[in-house]
Amino acid sequence: MTAAVAFEEVSCAFGQFVAVDRVSLEVREGEFFTLLGPSGSGKTTCLRMIGGFQFPTRGRVRIHGADATRLPPYARDVNTVFQDYALFPHMSVRDNVAYGLMVRGVAREERYRRADEMLELVHLPGTGARRPAELSGGQRQRVALARALINRPRVLLLDEPLGALDLKLRESMQVELKALQRQVGITFVFVTHDQQEALSMSDRVCVFDRGRVEQIGTPEEIYDRPATRFVAGFVGSGNLLEGAAARRLTGAQGAVMLRAERIRIEARRPGAVPGVVKEVEYLGAFIRYIVDVGDRTELLVNTARRDFALGAEVTLSWPEEACHRIPQGPA
Amino acid sequence: MKNSHRTLGGALALAAAFAVTAAYAAGPRQSVGKGEGRVDIVAWPGYIERGATDKNFDWVTGFEKSTGCKVQVKTANTSDEMVALMNEGGFDLVTASGDASLRLVAGGRVQEINTKLVPSYGKVDKRLQNAPWHTVGGKHYGVPYQWGYNVLMYNTNVFKQAPDSWAVVFEEMNLPDGKPNKGRVQAFDGPIYIADAALYLMTKNPALGIKDPYELNEDQYKAALALLRQQRKLVARYWHDAFVQIDDFTNEGFVASSAWQFQANILKSKNRPVATVVPKEGVTGWADTTMMHAGAKHPNCAYKWLEHSINPKLQGDLAAWFGAVPVRLEACKGNKLLGDDGCARHGLNSFDKIHFWRTPVANCKTQGGKCVPYYRWVSDYIAVLGGR
Amino acid sequence: MSALARSLSTTLYGRRGLALALLLAPPLLWLGIVYCGSLLALLANSFYGLDEFSGVIKREFTLKNFVELAAPANRDVIARTVGMAAAVTVGCALVAFPIAYLMARYTRGWVRAALYLGVMLPLWSSYLVRVYAWKLLLAREGVVNWMFAEAGLSWLLQGILAVPGIGGPSLSISSLGTFIVFVYIWLPFMILPIQAALERVPQSLIEASADLGAHDAATFRKVILPLALPGVIAGSIFTFSLTLGDYIIPGIIGDSSLYLGQVVYLQQGTAGNVPLAAAFTLVPITVMAVYLAVAKRMGAFDAL
Repeated sequence: MTAAVAFEEVSCAFGQFVAVDRVSLEVREGEFFTLLGPSGSGKTTCLRMIGGFQFPTRGRVRIHGADATRLPPYARDVNTVFQDYALFPHMSVRDNVAYGLMVRGVAREERYRRADEMLELVHLPGTGARRPAELSGGQRQRVALARALINRPRVLLLDEPLGALDLKLRESMQVELKALQRQVGITFVFVTHDQQEALSMSDRVCVFDRGRVEQIGTPEEIYDRPATRFVAGFVGSGNLLEGAAARRLTGAQGAVMLRAERIRIEARRPGAVPGVVKEVEYLGAFIRYIVDVGDRTELLVNTARRDFALGAEVTLSWPEEACHRIPQGPA
Repeated sequence: MKNSHRTLGGALALAAAFAVTAAYAAGPRQSVGKGEGRVDIVAWPGYIERGATDKNFDWVTGFEKSTGCKVQVKTANTSDEMVALMNEGGFDLVTASGDASLRLVAGGRVQEINTKLVPSYGKVDKRLQNAPWHTVGGKHYGVPYQWGYNVLMYNTNVFKQAPDSWAVVFEEMNLPDGKPNKGRVQAFDGPIYIADAALYLMTKNPALGIKDPYELNEDQYKAALALLRQQRKLVARYWHDAFVQIDDFTNEGFVASSAWQFQANILKSKNRPVATVVPKEGVTGWADTTMMHAGAKHPNCAYKWLEHSINPKLQGDLAAWFGAVPVRLEACKGNKLLGDDGCARHGLNSFDKIHFWRTPVANCKTQGGKCVPYYRWVSDYIAVLGGR
Repeated sequence: MSALARSLSTTLYGRRGLALALLLAPPLLWLGIVYCGSLLALLANSFYGLDEFSGVIKREFTLKNFVELAAPANRDVIARTVGMAAAVTVGCALVAFPIAYLMARYTRGWVRAALYLGVMLPLWSSYLVRVYAWKLLLAREGVVNWMFAEAGLSWLLQGILAVPGIGGPSLSISSLGTFIVFVYIWLPFMILPIQAALERVPQSLIEASADLGAHDAATFRKVILPLALPGVIAGSIFTFSLTLGDYIIPGIIGDSSLYLGQVVYLQQGTAGNVPLAAAFTLVPITVMAVYLAVAKRMGAFDAL
């Protein structure tokens, strides 16, 4: 099966600054694919190269097998939900949603009917006559979604669409977006810097750093078996052990990632690693301890129970498979 | 008091009018004292020169040295601007043309001049001493400054012989070069130009009974307007600014127009083929008078300037500079700048053929007090220019 | 002294209204007396008459001036001026839009600064000098005519000048010339508001339009133009009202047909017919009031 979107050695430079550096990746038909990375890592530039708002300086972009490297946006079977929604302020909500049909010459009656259907789909029935400025942030986001979906694109691009929403709304929109994707069955390419969001929604995640792909994999792979130190550090809360500390605590050579929630913290367990509680943080769903285990090494421990006070002597232990050796790549 | 309301409205004008009438009532001054250190004059551009443009033309510096009166000049480009400035006040003197002078007198803006305090007054050209545009009811309201005429300026390449009639700008015809005059002649764009049309009709159609081009009854006035409407078809652009006309004759192919000698002098100095002529019908002209504001703050310096303004040297230099004629005939001889033929060239010998600008009023002598007043000239000339 | 100042400031602090009134009194007095006062005086004057016989203003209520306004010659002047103002406004908008578009969307840094300077620079030099310069450019012996001749297009220029109503013996002696100079002189007042409006259109809106399938022309028509329209209207208020009131340009360039400003000047100054002049000045005021009301409906002031 051809990939919905494929990058072949794609680079994009702005003057001296290389935003995307020889990136190759494939987005499969129908999957929820997330580009994850800190700001400035090149993920948005990649998205813009799929949408056609930015052309690569090198390499090739394919959409459904066809070369789309320098195709203008309007010639691509791809639609975008913009970070700021980019709703047309001088048009009603209905006209905004129907815009893609209007420029294709669909008759007014037909396009309004379909626009209202789309509004129904994003749970905004009856708002068609309003102006975007009269809607809340969440509602605008849904309008942007409806507008992008009305052309029935084979790929939908979403550029941090939930960034401007408050936490509660964001969480419910995450669920809704995922459900919507299943319902319409098209490929979603989603950009975010929020690893939680990426892990919870995606079929696969591509982690970016400084213009390069660090790792592509399912959320589980990314979380449990980070390919690089950067991924280990960026995704989830974990302990990255190196050198002497790694050897002493895990018996492994090189870098080892030990997830904080896999560590058991007890008052005394024979054979376990002894340490002293340096910090206790209450984070609602769990407690985070910072435990000094000697050698100037501190381990993060996430646990459900609050049993120990500051300065308490404790022992830490973990199952063998909780330690993940990070392959020695270019540092 | 009644007249002082003439051109103004509102409370401001009333206040000004009271101030004016107060001064007006005092009558002419009887003596000239020590100068106040300055004198403020409203003048035509080029009328009061201190050598800034050309070192040869300076009749201010010497006056300031000998009297201690600093001369401050505010130039005005139209008679109306002059009237407006004088209405505002704050000036001592104004070089008013005949279409402004009577308005200033009637409005009470200027004061009577005691000619005894201007020692050289008796040497002024006799024809001007009691001219009607500054003498009202036997009282003098100013000292003549300079005069000139509105001649017919023509292109000597087109006219091998000088045209002898204004017909070349009023009637549709072929000029001596065989091409029509349409689009190649100009006329003045001020309403006062209606008088030029009336002047032409005086000769062309004596049956109309026009005696004075500034005094027209309804029929005469209608005939003049008809002539001007006919002229509108010939004139692509009217002139109102001397320098615009100079440019038109240089760059736009105009070959005949009413003009001041000033334009002709400048065009000739640039070796343009132009000359001027006084056609058989006569010409209109302008005569300017230096008048003193009713509320002048520096009357002593003002009287000193009035005397200075008619000294032969100044008069000759100014005539040369402006293409005008001195009001003292001895200024015509021996002036290096003017040359001995200057006065003749500028119209001295045509005095009798000149009908000097006056503001037309309803109450006129020659038509039994039934003349068309100036405000109608304005409205109708606007209509003529608009093609109505 | 300081105690007094403190008690004064305490008093004022407690009475915000008083402090505000003290601050606003001078400008409001200025506006009220000088501005509105003179307008009212004008209005009052337009209802006075002129004595037919002596030409003296009679302070009695009459509507004669407004009847006279409707005389054919005066109707011509009004129609000519309003027509010219409308044509100049359209002309300015057509010329200014591409320039403003270029400035707002395709330039940045020093190139944009240079363009700004280029647009503003003419405003720093004398208006009269520029008008006279144009007279020379458009003259029969001028550069424009010469360029047409050099390009072998004299027939075209002559053809245009032969059109009755806008033509004449040369460009500088035609309504077309008046129009050209008006457009040139007021152009900056159109470019700047359009440029400001275009600058406020987010890039993402244009990308969104293209993303949804609109070609560049459709994006321009459906998104950019509607969003720039308030700027065009704001600019048109300038060009329209400035043309309505101008009396210099038609005096120097054109076929000597008179415009409103010139007629007001003539009636007021030369003729001393202040009442009729006042009635005339009410024409542009009325026209502008209607224009502004329409512009407001079209949302021109939402963007200000």
